[in-house]
Amino acid sequence: MAARHLIIGAGTAGLNCIRTIREEDGGASEITLVTAERPYSRMVLPYYLDRSIAESHVFTATAATLATWKVKTHIGRKAASLNPQANALTLDDGTTLEYDDCLIATGSRAVKAPVPGADSPGVHSFWTLDQARAVIAGIAPGSHVVMVGAGFIAFTILNSILSLGARLTIVEIAPRILPRMVDDKGAALVEAWLKKHGVKILTGVALTKIDDARGKKRLRFKKVGDLLADLVIMATGIKPNLEWLQGSGIRMNHGILVDDHLRSSVPNVYAAGDVAEGKDGVTGAPVVHAIEPTAMEHGRVIGANMAGRDVAYRGSLNMNIVEVLKLDVASFGAWDASGAEAFTGLHPERSAYRKLCWSGDRLTGAIIIGQAGDVWTTNDVGMLKGLVQTGVRLGAWKEHLRRNPFDVKPAFIASRTTARLLPETTLGRPSRAPELPTTVTR
Amino acid sequence: MKVLKIVPEKCTGCLRCELACSYVQTGAFQPAKSVIRVSPYEGHTSYAPYTCTQCAEGWCMTACPVGAITITAAGAKDVVDDRCVGCKLCTIACPYGTIFYDHDTRKAFKCDLCGGAPACADACPTAAIVYAEAETADWLADFAVERSARLLAIGAR
Repeated sequence: MAARHLIIGAGTAGLNCIRTIREEDGGASEITLVTAERPYSRMVLPYYLDRSIAESHVFTATAATLATWKVKTHIGRKAASLNPQANALTLDDGTTLEYDDCLIATGSRAVKAPVPGADSPGVHSFWTLDQARAVIAGIAPGSHVVMVGAGFIAFTILNSILSLGARLTIVEIAPRILPRMVDDKGAALVEAWLKKHGVKILTGVALTKIDDARGKKRLRFKKVGDLLADLVIMATGIKPNLEWLQGSGIRMNHGILVDDHLRSSVPNVYAAGDVAEGKDGVTGAPVVHAIEPTAMEHGRVIGANMAGRDVAYRGSLNMNIVEVLKLDVASFGAWDASGAEAFTGLHPERSAYRKLCWSGDRLTGAIIIGQAGDVWTTNDVGMLKGLVQTGVRLGAWKEHLRRNPFDVKPAFIASRTTARLLPETTLGRPSRAPELPTTVTR
Repeated sequence: MKVLKIVPEKCTGCLRCELACSYVQTGAFQPAKSVIRVSPYEGHTSYAPYTCTQCAEGWCMTACPVGAITITAAGAKDVVDDRCVGCKLCTIACPYGTIFYDHDTRKAFKCDLCGGAPACADACPTAAIVYAEAETADWLADFAVERSARLLAIGAR
C-alpha cells in the first residue's frame, strides 16, 4: 500500500513539503492536505495591499496545481485534535483522517495588544488574506493610519501604506523601533530616515484604549496625547497555532520540539515553520524561527524524509530583510548575542550601518543597513549571509573587518567561502525549479 | 553544463564585461545594473570579475515565495519578471551576494547567462571570462588570497 502523508497547513512549509514529496516520488504516495485557507503566500500580501500585484498573484497553488500533484484536499477545514497512537487526525467537522506520517504546519496568527477596543471595527491585523482585504477596503488616499507596533511585520507594509497616499503614524511600546531585528544604533538610524521621509514615530508609548470618535478611532495612551485615526493596524506580534495539540502527547516548549530530521517526539509526526522549535544553525540551541526561509527549508527537508530519503537539517538561520522607503535593513544570525565580540561601522550621512558579531574568527551574526540603490549593499547582504551560514574561519580578515567593516567582499572571497558553499545543498541533490501554479487568473 | 569560468589572472579591469552585461540585460550601458562586478585587488594593481555560479542549491530559487525563479534551458537560475513581486527574500537567501534588486522595475535580477550566450564572456578582450563546459568552481579564492596578502600585512602592522 502506498504511504499516506497527511499535511496540516498549506503555508510555505506545507506546500514545500508537498512539492518535495512529488519531486522525490513522482506521485506514488497518497497526499492529503488539510487547510483552513486556500494556499497563498503571506510574504507577498504587502504587494497586494499597494496593488502592485493582483489578488490572484498571491495564490501559491490552485485547485488545478493540487490536482496535478494528486493531492486530496480538505480546504476550509481546521485540525481539531491529533491522536498519534491511532495515527489519526480529527477535523473541526468531525471527519477523521488516518495517516502513515503527518506534518504539522499550522503556522501562527496575529495577536492584538490586549486593550479595550482592540477588537472593534476599524482595528485591523495584517496577517491573513482576509485581513489584507479588510485593510485594503479601509484605506483611502489621505487616510490617517496608525500602526501599533514597530516590528518586522509593521515594516513590511509601511511602503504600501504610504504609496496608497495615506499618512502614517507608528506607535511602539518599546523604547525603539524594530526591537527584534536590529540593535539600538541601527534602530536610531532607521528611525531618523523614516522621520526625514515624513513618517511620524512615537516610541516608548503604551496604548491603553481605543474608542470610536465621530467615525474615527481614538487611540489613548498612558503618557502622551490621543491620536485620531481613520484606520488602525495592530502589528503587535504573532502566536503559533498549537492549542489544538493539547492532550496529543506531542512535546512542546515555545513550539513543537523537533530533532535534526524535524520529527516531533512522535517519530512519524513532523513539525515545520512557525510551530516548530528546532536547531538554530549558528548557536545549536532549540529555537522557533517564525520566518519564511525556515518554513521553506523545514518543508523541503520533511518532504524528502516523508518520501523515504534520510535528510538531516543543518539548522535554521535567523534572517530578515525589509526595505523602508529605499533603505535596506537586514540582519542575520546571532546579531544580538549579549557579550559577543562585535565590530560596528556607521556612516550617518549615507544612512549606512554594519554590525559584525563574532565567535573567535567566525562571524555569528550581522546587521546591515544601507540605501537600497547602492549595489554594494545588496552584495554585502548576501555575502554576510554566506559568512554567517558557513561559519567560515576568517583568520587575519577579522582584523581587516575590524578596521573596515564595510569591506566584506575580499574577506568573503579570500576565505574561500564560495568553495565551502558550492557543494552545499539542503536535500543532498540539486534543487529543481518550482512548478508555477497553473491556471492562475489575472 | 556550460558555465562562466573566471580566469582572474587575465583580467585587466577594463570593465567591458560590466558594460556589456548591463546593455544586454537592461538595454542601456549602466554598470550599476551589471550582474557581473569587477573588484580591485592589491590597491588597484589587479582586478577580478565576480558573478553568480548558478549553484546547485539555487538558494534564491528555493527561497522565492511565489516561484518566480526558475531554471532556463541554459541551466541558469532566472527571475520570471511577471511573477516576481520584489520582496527581496532572494537577496538574503543567496549566500554569494549575486542576486540584486532593481528600483526602476521593482524586481530582483541576476545573471541568466544571457540565454546561453553571455555578453560578458563575449566582450572580455583577454579571455578572463570564458563560457565553457566545466564544473563550476571557486575561481577567485587562490587569486584573492595571493593578491590580498600585502593588504592584510599592512593592516596587521
